[in-house]
Amino acid sequence: MDENRETLNAFIDGELPPKEMERISALLASRPDLGEYVDRQEQLRASLRMESVLRAPVPERLLQTAKSAPASWRWQLRSRLARHPARWLLSAAATALAAGLIVGILTRPINDIVMSDGQMMAQGALRQILNTKLASARHASTGPQIGISFRDRTGSDCRTFKVGETAGLACHSSGNWVVRAVAASGPEAPGPYRMAGSEMPEAIRRLVEGSIVGAPYDAAAEARARAAGWSGQH
Amino acid sequence: MDPSLETIRQQIVQLLPRLRRYAIALAGSTADGDDLVQDTVERALKNLHAWEPGTRLDSWMFRIAKNRFIDNRRAAKRHPVSGSDVLEITDVAHDGARAMEARLSLRSVSEALQRLPEEQRHVVALVLVDGLSYRDAADLLEIPIGTLTSRISRARESLAQALGC
Repeated sequence: MDENRETLNAFIDGELPPKEMERISALLASRPDLGEYVDRQEQLRASLRMESVLRAPVPERLLQTAKSAPASWRWQLRSRLARHPARWLLSAAATALAAGLIVGILTRPINDIVMSDGQMMAQGALRQILNTKLASARHASTGPQIGISFRDRTGSDCRTFKVGETAGLACHSSGNWVVRAVAASGPEAPGPYRMAGSEMPEAIRRLVEGSIVGAPYDAAAEARARAAGWSGQH
Repeated sequence: MDPSLETIRQQIVQLLPRLRRYAIALAGSTADGDDLVQDTVERALKNLHAWEPGTRLDSWMFRIAKNRFIDNRRAAKRHPVSGSDVLEITDVAHDGARAMEARLSLRSVSEALQRLPEEQRHVVALVLVDGLSYRDAADLLEIPIGTLTSRISRARESLAQALGC
């Protein structure tokens, strides 16, 4: 056999340039020995395709794994942010902001934030604190902390918060607190200090700056907002 | 824009038959192959943020399967491949038209694959079993294309001999 074995194999695998494919094709017609080799190899390939496996039903446990095994929390968050850019990407710094958020995203989920209908919702202690706690009321409690409260461009009441080493921004919508973003923050500051702007992660700070209307609420405005059920009507 | 999680799960479901075939070709039995697929799918979902939307999900998952196979093999320190661990797949749609393919049983094919050196088996599983192009397979295995073609040629000779082709 003078034709290179590897060339013939590449021919069988359809990996030669068109000109070469034609040349080998023509050659096979005049060389029964080569033709026989190619036939045998094609048979081998057909057997190796194991098509019975492709046709067999996939075991239920594998289907279940694909349908319901836990998915990357970071991916879901990124996907959510990418899906609804208009809601939160309000400045030309959108891309930089998104990158900052993704980099800053915490690696473990907080129990008080759940995914619901593709949105992150505050629940449990975080929801409670967002509903009731005034940022202006300083006390040395542990647990979720409120940073600032403000009105955003859509007229919703929004609040920054901190849970453990995670900071975030939540805005009130139809009775729920929709978490717009979370980012890793420093370790929880001990004592009664509320999260001032300077302690806010860069990504959250920029998000606030991009959506805030006017200044953050002062103590009186915050109290009125709470009294109005964070409906934005106050 | 990222596809939704639901879309990705559906794509994975559609990939399962191919992934299974690949895993069985590597692992040598349906039981071990299916374990590898399960491990691969769990990993892929857990690490979905590492997948770049717009790139091929199938290549990415095959790569995870390949790496998991290698890692598990290392962990198990060459536990003998059980020839008795039967490939119990029965061909549900077999008919005369498929005669050529079925000339060799799944088991004999699988046993022949298991006798190949592992580096050759990886190439064969991607190119000859799954049908990837040389380029895609070389990228996935991170080897030069020349290395890939010579491994395929050597593997072909052994397989032809083992299977009497």
